[in-house]
Amino acid sequence: MSWTVGILRASQRAGTVRANFLCLGMAPSPRPPAALPLGGAWAMAPASKMATVKCELMKNCTSEEPVRNSKISIVGTGSVGMACAISILLKGLSDELALVDVDEGRLKGETMDLQHGSPFVKMPNIVSSRDYFVTANSSLVIITAGARQEKGETRLNLVQRNVAIFKLMMSSIVQYSPRCKLIVVSNPVDILTYVAWKLSAFPQNRVIGSGCNLDTARFRFLIGQRLSIHSESCHGWILGEHGDSSVPVWSGVNIAGVPLKELNLDIGTDKDPEQWKNVHKDVVASAYEIIKMKGYTSWAIGLSVADLTESILKNLRRVHPVSTRIKGLYGINEDVFLSVPCILGESGITDLIKVKLAPEEEARLQKSAKTLWDIQKELKF
Amino acid sequence: MSSVKEQLIENLIEEDKVSQNKVTIVGTGAVGMACAICILLKDLADELALIDVVADKLKGETMDLQHGSLFFNTPKIISGKDYSVSANSRLVIITAGARQQEGESRLNLVQRNVDIMKSAIPAIVQNSPDCKMLIVSNPVDILTYVVWKLSGLPATRVIGSGCNLDSARFRYLIGQKLGVHPSSCHGWIIGEHGDSSVPLWSGVNVAGVSLKSLDPKLGTDSDKDSWKNIHKEVVGSAYEIIKLKGYTSWGIGLSVTDLVKSILKNLRRVHPVSTMVKGSYGIKEEIFLSIPCVLGQNGVSDVVKVNLNSEEEALFKKSASTLWNIQKDLKF
Repeated sequence: MSWTVGILRASQRAGTVRANFLCLGMAPSPRPPAALPLGGAWAMAPASKMATVKCELMKNCTSEEPVRNSKISIVGTGSVGMACAISILLKGLSDELALVDVDEGRLKGETMDLQHGSPFVKMPNIVSSRDYFVTANSSLVIITAGARQEKGETRLNLVQRNVAIFKLMMSSIVQYSPRCKLIVVSNPVDILTYVAWKLSAFPQNRVIGSGCNLDTARFRFLIGQRLSIHSESCHGWILGEHGDSSVPVWSGVNIAGVPLKELNLDIGTDKDPEQWKNVHKDVVASAYEIIKMKGYTSWAIGLSVADLTESILKNLRRVHPVSTRIKGLYGINEDVFLSVPCILGESGITDLIKVKLAPEEEARLQKSAKTLWDIQKELKF
Repeated sequence: MSSVKEQLIENLIEEDKVSQNKVTIVGTGAVGMACAICILLKDLADELALIDVVADKLKGETMDLQHGSLFFNTPKIISGKDYSVSANSRLVIITAGARQQEGESRLNLVQRNVDIMKSAIPAIVQNSPDCKMLIVSNPVDILTYVVWKLSGLPATRVIGSGCNLDSARFRYLIGQKLGVHPSSCHGWIIGEHGDSSVPLWSGVNVAGVSLKSLDPKLGTDSDKDSWKNIHKEVVGSAYEIIKLKGYTSWGIGLSVTDLVKSILKNLRRVHPVSTMVKGSYGIKEEIFLSIPCVLGQNGVSDVVKVNLNSEEEALFKKSASTLWNIQKDLKF
């Protein structure tokens, strides 16, 4: 590469330092930086005018900073956060991934471990820090952090503790990415999505709760098991409150447009000889069962969040059952968030599908709303 | 009364229950599960079987994966304590075994892991006599030898994940230093996966430009740019990550999946993996060390004959004797 060396010598003789010729006066820092300044993909440290291998090898053409179009930040590097991370990375959804956690050791360890997979995946730049400045300019921020329920703790108490955690989190996130979309995964998700919305002061379209996206995925998987058909071809929706009081909408369950209710009028009721109701029961029990066996759940929630991420970042406008502000629908007057089918795109939730619910399904949604509001109204922000 | 299924679906032919691309993973710890999620997301298998001795963890992990079925294309995920679930596997990945504690070297784990292999390997081979075996458990080079001995399979079908991950870390760190994506930075680490691995500085290049040709001191102690530290960092990586998060998973999961891809799809790509090197580089013992191997549907079909300089060859031989010193005392 004698011509590069020639240029180097000529510049030195001329005594000029051309701004876009990287070698003169600058050398890359030898250690991978753990926390990077805004937009800086590769940290540069002023160094001696020594000709490094890098200078010899490459000619820099521009010093323009890259514009991040699909930066994703994940708050919380526990099992759920990391499952979201690996799913997003393997699906190639982002050009920069920022991880934030209070546990600096774990945060750094997880970041390094991901980075070491770089040759095998079109790995984007991964940055991490305790400090939220690494999340700056995110298109999407996924919140998996939060307090876990302690033994015997009331839901209200758990939520109040999480309000305190969310307060700091939200102000930082909003400061650095005022136009981002938020996906809230931490539980109890419907309440915490409301909390995130209140604290962020974002328009409601940009605050999305992962809600019943996972419940619905489990529902479709279990239906698929019963029918020996891939879950992708089994359609069914679970709506309302994520958790014990979720509502399976049996009228909508169908394969290739054939509603199962047409074939079995008692489907989902106690009279049903095939007891399809148990499919929903199994969905509700799923999380508890998996937690009992392996201590936590991670893969399915990670995959389902990556699915939502894909719709948002690629502006797909696919329909997902996610938690959104439901006041004014289904006779609900409380300011609560529940899952209904929503169109997800670049602006977050742009539209929602008005599902016709049976009177008893609507009643269950109203009951959920009341339960959630009973807790929410006691919260001190 | 006919069920909803009968009313809905007209069955035409018997479901063909034989999978064409089955992968079994033995061990559902962090490494095994990282391999699983990566294999699923990369659409490499049509059936995935998981095996572990801890029944609850095994079932919990399996269910959690199954619940994500909607989002990937592997229709059958099964698990069991019994090796019969592994029947008909094209590839069996061994991640089971004791793991390094903070500060512990890989070699310390040997005897504990030999005993685990003794119970597992014969059952695996019985259930899938034509499979390839990919060993990940540490110390990987010794355990690959152990598995080879216990399985009775030809050495070409018993592969250790070896320096695939070390080389990946190497390329990642080179990429960081140069501001170039790791997949465009080429560099090979061979020999022992661990403290005495050998970085081949002469081969390190970007776009065919050998970095050593730009700086002949590259990788030596007199190199002012301290490229040698990159290899040091690779060797220290696992210890550092274990200290920080308790174990490593993503790096090894992704690197193993890359090997799985080459094997299952018969790609014949070259990877630095642990294979039988007796007869090369003056090595006379039955040792497994990493050298660049061509990986395809039959396992290691060819190896690349790398020219080592005298220093590299000495380090390579040192790896071999370090390992042989431990292997010779193993009780099978």
